[in-house]
Amino acid sequence: MHGVKRIRYSREALEAKQQRDKAKLQEYLALTEEIISRKKNGDYSHEAFDLTTRMLRVNPEFYTVWNYRKTILVKEFFLKSTPHQINDVLSGDLDMTTAFLKQHPKIYAIWNHRRWCLEQVPEGPTEADPNGWKMANWKKELYVVEKMLDVDARNFHAWNYRRYVLASMPVHRSEQSELDYTTRKIEANFSNFSAWHQRSKVLTTLWETGKANPAQNREEELELVRNAMYTDPFDQSVWIYHRWLIGEGSDATILQAEISSIQELLDEQPDSKWCMESLVHYKQLLLRNHSAIIGAEDRQVVKTSCLDLLLQLQHVDSERKNRYGDLAVRIRDMDI
Amino acid sequence: MGAEPKLNIPLHVKYIQSLGENKDDLTYHLTAHLRMNAVYWGLTALYIMKNKDALDREEMIEYVMSCWDEQAGGFGAHPDHDAHIHATLSAIQILVMQDALDRVDVDRVTKFILSLQQPSGVFAGDAFGEIDTRFLYIAVQALSLLGRLHELDVEKTVGYIQRCRNFDGGFGAIIGAESHAAQVFVCTAALAILDRLDVIDQETLAWWLSERQLPNGGLNGRPEKLEDVCYSFWVLSALSILKKLNWIDADKLIKFILSAEDLEHGGIADRPGDQPDVFHTQFGVAGLSLLGYPGLEDIDPVYCLPAKITEAKGLRKDWEALPRRV
Repeated sequence: MHGVKRIRYSREALEAKQQRDKAKLQEYLALTEEIISRKKNGDYSHEAFDLTTRMLRVNPEFYTVWNYRKTILVKEFFLKSTPHQINDVLSGDLDMTTAFLKQHPKIYAIWNHRRWCLEQVPEGPTEADPNGWKMANWKKELYVVEKMLDVDARNFHAWNYRRYVLASMPVHRSEQSELDYTTRKIEANFSNFSAWHQRSKVLTTLWETGKANPAQNREEELELVRNAMYTDPFDQSVWIYHRWLIGEGSDATILQAEISSIQELLDEQPDSKWCMESLVHYKQLLLRNHSAIIGAEDRQVVKTSCLDLLLQLQHVDSERKNRYGDLAVRIRDMDI
Repeated sequence: MGAEPKLNIPLHVKYIQSLGENKDDLTYHLTAHLRMNAVYWGLTALYIMKNKDALDREEMIEYVMSCWDEQAGGFGAHPDHDAHIHATLSAIQILVMQDALDRVDVDRVTKFILSLQQPSGVFAGDAFGEIDTRFLYIAVQALSLLGRLHELDVEKTVGYIQRCRNFDGGFGAIIGAESHAAQVFVCTAALAILDRLDVIDQETLAWWLSERQLPNGGLNGRPEKLEDVCYSFWVLSALSILKKLNWIDADKLIKFILSAEDLEHGGIADRPGDQPDVFHTQFGVAGLSLLGYPGLEDIDPVYCLPAKITEAKGLRKDWEALPRRV
């Protein structure tokens, strides 16, 4: 149970509640028994289908009943119906699960049933337009999932489903429009790491397929990230994403520019843990990958500043003081 | 620990014992699809609290066997529920803890599990095809407990986990999914069982995991999310496999877990003041065990089973919990 407040009932209130629940309980147990017994008897009738609807409205987590519902469709209904009827019943299930999701946005079984329904949509409505029904359904999916993400922008069920829909739509949407979607989500809330994550995936695809220029994108991304950092230097989402942008720090110019930009922010926000932690990380990359371009004296300066920052971090961010201690030992022992 | 709050073991034992007596309660029946898991959570928590015999052994074994789905060759969550890989693992774990694995048709259940592997390497939960790295871990652990790991296509399995790895070092539920502490646990533990921790960017992952701790001591599952007691296990288990458990503040986390105890009825909740349940009770107690809390049995973070059990089966991997306090 997540986020359900503990309630203290008085003896009278508890008895009244149990009395109320008693009727519901009997109805629930009778319905369960009826469904299980029909299922055992291989009953794939319309009545059995309607009983699963009734049950799933009460308990959408009852996976055995979802399975039974699918079995009824596959073993009976699909065999005896026209494509039109099949499309109608699947659209009906999609509508039903949309309503369920509004109430239970995090139940795996509901999301899964949607996937299953979409994959069963037949060809039609006509031979000339075999993808018509599929297109209509898939198009609706993106709308549904955006509504879900408007309510809870971090719902990972919705994000996973979104990626599934984007990958499966009969007509693919451009990666650029998905990038724009993540921009909107990030601008609405910089701390939405789910959107930053999605952005890293979309950009990777754009680069791998040669649809975008990594160097140009990186510059724009660093600008976006800088805005977010200045807006809230204590929010970790943006710092984690920044780490992805820098990667192994193979570009010394970028690395050095970012180090001085973070240093500037630290001067303004002297207790920013993320500024200090990131500086240590990037300076370490500098020492590791570009020691040739900094003089021996400067190397010692960089090393000392890392050790100073780690000492401060042990106080500012004491939960992780052992990590900072371990890093300090490693940097001290660095052969530079 | 002086006047510090203490884990109220007798109360939690009573709470777990009482869970089977709520049959007049609607919620009890609404959660039947989790019953097998709940029995596993309850028994493991009792075992870690050194009260393994607080539930009747014979009754438990009979219950587990009554959930066998003869048609599919696996266990369901409750009698007459369909076989599912998650219920199947819980059943095997319970039988292992009760030293009654001889009740299982190992050939059939192995076949059931292996039949769920997809061409991509991931596992489905059942014949209806939902995929998740949770199910992959479940398959790996179940086969390991059954002594049938050699029947698994390890390369294919590891390959899927590898493709779930994100730049932050973590893993998600499927390829492309955001890193999540519970998925990090399943992927890390599966790799530990398969002796393939080389797949992990350990430095980055341990950093990401240590950043799950919030100023109130609790752990969250993803950046900028709320703390929850169950992450005490997901995050700590992965950190102990990476041998970096000291990268978080143990005292603060112990305090947070204990603040979520229900000291009236027993049990531990997700957060202070919330309704307790057996899931959070188990993962709270398991977290405390890894943190070296006094008076508890060691839990094996790879299998989420008592370490005595995995050691006796010769399955212990190389992990490090914090030393047991006295």
